[in-house]
Amino acid sequence: MTARAVGWPLLAVALALALTALLILAAGKNPLLAYAALARGALGSWDRFGIGLNKATPYVLTGVGVALCFRAKVINIGGEGQIALGGLAATWMALAFPQAPPVALPLLALAAGAAAGAGWAALAAIVRLRRHVHEVLVTLLMNFVGVLIVSEALQGSLGEPGAGFPQSPLIPTAAWLPRLPGSDLHVGILVAVVAVVAGHALLWHAPFGFRLRVLGASVPAATYAGISQPRTVLGVMSLAGALAGLAGGVEVLGVHYRLIEGFSTGFGFNAVAIALLGALNPIAVLPAGLFFGFLETGALAMQRAIGVPSSLVSVIQGLTMVLILAAMGLAARRPSA
Amino acid sequence: MLRMRGISKSYGSVHANRSIDLDVAAGRIVGLLGENGSGKTTLMNVLFGMVAPDEGTIVFKDRPLIGHAPREAIAAGIGMIHQHFMLVPAMTVTENVMLGWDATGRWLRHTEVAARIRSASSAYGLGLDPGARVEALPLGAQQRVEIVKAIVRGAELLVLDEPTSSLSPPEIAGLLDVLRRLRDEGRSVIFISHKLGEVLEVCDEVVVLRDGEVAGRAEVAGISRRELAHIMVGRDVGAPIERRALAPGHERLVVADLRAVDAAGIERLRGVSFSVRSGEVLALVGVDGNGQAELASLISGMDRPARGAVFVDGADVTAGGVAARRAAGLAHVPADRATTGLVADMTIAENLALRAFDDPPMRHGPWLDLGAMADLARERIAEFAIRASGPETAARTLSGGNQQKIVLARELGSRPAVLVAEQPTRGLDPGATRFVVDQVLALREAGGAILYISTELEEALLVADRIGVLYGGRLVGLVRREDIDLSRLGLMMAGALEDLPDSAALYGVRES
Repeated sequence: MTARAVGWPLLAVALALALTALLILAAGKNPLLAYAALARGALGSWDRFGIGLNKATPYVLTGVGVALCFRAKVINIGGEGQIALGGLAATWMALAFPQAPPVALPLLALAAGAAAGAGWAALAAIVRLRRHVHEVLVTLLMNFVGVLIVSEALQGSLGEPGAGFPQSPLIPTAAWLPRLPGSDLHVGILVAVVAVVAGHALLWHAPFGFRLRVLGASVPAATYAGISQPRTVLGVMSLAGALAGLAGGVEVLGVHYRLIEGFSTGFGFNAVAIALLGALNPIAVLPAGLFFGFLETGALAMQRAIGVPSSLVSVIQGLTMVLILAAMGLAARRPSA
Repeated sequence: MLRMRGISKSYGSVHANRSIDLDVAAGRIVGLLGENGSGKTTLMNVLFGMVAPDEGTIVFKDRPLIGHAPREAIAAGIGMIHQHFMLVPAMTVTENVMLGWDATGRWLRHTEVAARIRSASSAYGLGLDPGARVEALPLGAQQRVEIVKAIVRGAELLVLDEPTSSLSPPEIAGLLDVLRRLRDEGRSVIFISHKLGEVLEVCDEVVVLRDGEVAGRAEVAGISRRELAHIMVGRDVGAPIERRALAPGHERLVVADLRAVDAAGIERLRGVSFSVRSGEVLALVGVDGNGQAELASLISGMDRPARGAVFVDGADVTAGGVAARRAAGLAHVPADRATTGLVADMTIAENLALRAFDDPPMRHGPWLDLGAMADLARERIAEFAIRASGPETAARTLSGGNQQKIVLARELGSRPAVLVAEQPTRGLDPGATRFVVDQVLALREAGGAILYISTELEEALLVADRIGVLYGGRLVGLVRREDIDLSRLGLMMAGALEDLPDSAALYGVRES
């Protein structure tokens, strides 16, 4: 990675913050105070810090998978649906086998989540490979199907009787992810860090990563190198689906302890922004995911402290994405860059 | 009608056009003949205003065209029909004609434009239905849509860039008829081609370009096929260089009755059979688009044949893919260095490992051995004198010659039994060309069998033990080095040899 490649995501973030500062000014508030409140809200105490890490976990997990897909020019934007099915499968596993040994139960549930996400993504890959429907369309539309399957399950067999809200019963405490005593921080962030390291090793140090990179750079070169396009696309999609499904499982087992309709509030879509912010490098996805996570925990604090609406954080996230895409577009237009 | 004077255009150190003069009178069809890279397309892009010339003037209908854009060229009355059609498949013929046409005014007038299409269509025998969707039309009809688009917009000079390359023989005959009618009506045509038969049949005069310069011009009425073929094939080619004679070895590459059909259903290879022995270079020459690309991709395993078989050292590898053929000892230098032979964004080390990353020593257990990759790269950089700062240099930063050295280093480094080299010197300077040729000859000395596919006759003569011509998807003449007759080869490349059974059928040419 050259200095330039590392530079432009940081520049995009800085510009996004600056532009948002103008909006805050226009609203008659002091942007410096607002950002200070945001930073305090995100990092001001161990407790806040832990919540930020929890928020970042699904982002990082899903973002690593998206980064790997994008490296192969497989435009997987189906994270949302894969997360939904991952959460569903993890919940089902936790509720179906409450008598399983305490350590095994969360592991089983997470494995079920990963498997469901992988299967859902693989289905999209197969439609792409067999029927030549572009994966952007397939993965995007399957998000809606995935989310609706969760709703359907919560209205039916998996719903909590008499809850008045589409949610499942609480899962047995044996299935809960361990927490740092005295805080909300669960072990999910460790899982995410493992995924980051594994993603990095896979991309840069394993034959599979080499295949991804060649396929993403040039399909004719991949054919020439004897790389199977179908197998590689299916592989990377399944992997990304597994990571997203894992993210869904972690949300259920570590945060909500039950399946709730709409528990994934755009994690899958933000993961695309995070993967791009991380320049499609698994290692850099970690800080990118943390940035998004901390922005969100800081947002409410900012609103409480000085009355700037927390939805401004969505503006920062959106602007970051737009600016990164603009920078990538500029880089692509300059042939020597 | 058109006077182009002293047109010059350089891209860096490459002179695409060098002081070219071109005149086209009203009611004339002028053939522009030349190999790939001879400057035909650049000259026409200058005319159409897509490229600004470094020097030279253009006068069209007594008015100078200076620094014009394509839009102004169209308005002046120049119509360009590109090799790849510029049509929107989902739209109708009428909609395609209106698309981007300023003169249609503020509102779309379907019926009026459709009526004009209908009248032009009947006047020139185009047989077009204005309401038909373009995607439903065969290629020949799509081309006629391009022609009607130009006519309806008032083009008096039509430029057709290799218009017959994707047409079937009856469609070609129909197109030539249309061009004659346009001429008889007083319009002019520039007909770009590298097919001798068509040029002789339809053109009034012919201008031959070579290396960006006019190599010859002649009235078609006063020139024989043989003379024209000689101008086209080019400068006097010296006698083949003497090389160490090698006793013919055993057959290492055998190709039996290979056939290929493209996506449009056109037969691109019509049963090609040959064998290459140890210590032998078989060169296949021919104008691009006569089946070279298909043949190479079938032999290398990048594509599967519709019929036929490929054997390497006696083993049938037809069913295997690229990896199986590599394992059998087949190396391949693809024609397209930039997107197939190399991954421009990857490093030299990665490119050298492109086809062997999954085998030891590049692969160590489940992981890539980056150290071994770098070691190998350093070794090859030294051995092949690749000018680069190190193994981690991106391939895109290297010159064409050094990029090709990476491909050669990778493919020849494994001491292959068989090498398929596709246009291995395309775009290289003389020094780099020499290096490639020397490497190929070194493999020959070492007992390899080489299939050398080239559009350059001179170069083929430099390396070949036997030489054959690919024409229209067939192998039409296979002669030993000592029996080479240059003018015969030139005629075969142009598809104009008398004993070629179907040249007449292919072009509807009557021998006179």
